[in-house]
Amino acid sequence: MTTFLAIFATGIGTYFSRSLFILSLANRRIPDPIRRALDHVGPSVLGALIVTMLIGPDGRVMMGYAEASALAAAGLVALRTRNHIFTLMVGMSVFWLVRALL
Amino acid sequence: MNNPRSPAVAAVRDAIPIFIPAIPFALVLGLAIVESGIDPLLGWSSSLIVYAGASQLTLVTLLGEGAAVAAAVTAALIVNARHLMYSAAMAPTFQQQPAWFRWLGPYLLIDQVFALCMLRINDDPRDFRIYYLGVGTTFWLLWLITTAFGLFIGPVVPLEWGLGFAIPILFLGVLVMGVDRWPKAGAALVAAGTAYVAADMPSKSGLLLGALAGVPAGVILDKFRQ
Repeated sequence: MTTFLAIFATGIGTYFSRSLFILSLANRRIPDPIRRALDHVGPSVLGALIVTMLIGPDGRVMMGYAEASALAAAGLVALRTRNHIFTLMVGMSVFWLVRALL
Repeated sequence: MNNPRSPAVAAVRDAIPIFIPAIPFALVLGLAIVESGIDPLLGWSSSLIVYAGASQLTLVTLLGEGAAVAAAVTAALIVNARHLMYSAAMAPTFQQQPAWFRWLGPYLLIDQVFALCMLRINDDPRDFRIYYLGVGTTFWLLWLITTAFGLFIGPVVPLEWGLGFAIPILFLGVLVMGVDRWPKAGAALVAAGTAYVAADMPSKSGLLLGALAGVPAGVILDKFRQ
């Protein structure tokens, strides 16, 4: 029962954090400066999220040659092709290849 | 549905490659539920009720280690705090949407849905809604199915494949495709640099600090651009 309560409370809190601004700003005019600032939320969160995903259990960013070259290759492919599947295939191939060579 | 350009078809086509790297995550979650000693069906119900992988993993692990309910819930919600930023970023687009969708949409607003749908916020509102629901329900169904499978096969799949690295790769792709003016790239770089410097801070709070540093940096760079 306490486990269910914990899951339920986490579910409510998660929905709250996802819905807060969407629901509270629904019928309000959002001033232009804020609207322009919100443009940068997506890229900023993604930039920080990518680095955070590379943090190992020891609290350090795991970024060797394999990771760096895979990310560089994936970034270029994404820029040129704008295709998620190509980006994934090239990125992971470079990652496995460089990891196997070193 | 037979028009290849329809937003529903595009949604499913985009969602599936983005889901692949979530599969090992679902298996790890299944393994964590089994190891925590929580009733498996109850643990799996978090996929339906919480529907946020990292948060579910935090909650299940802490409950399994015997943490107090309040502490476990708090930690799980801190992991989820980034959703506040997704909600803020999506708010202008949702203003053009019907009320039912403003209430349903946030339930589906996970990292991948946010990332893919941010590329579509300037679409026609109806197309945006179909695309969002397409990506959202595809992910939701696949997550419910794979986390259920994870209860059985999570304990037997090798983790050395490093399949988890596919997630930052795909997110980098989404980031690159979303940059339509250089100040956005500047914001992303400042955010990434801040998260790097703050990597050893507890509860992955570098993520929030990074995002908070990136937004003003982007605003300042926009001023230079004009």
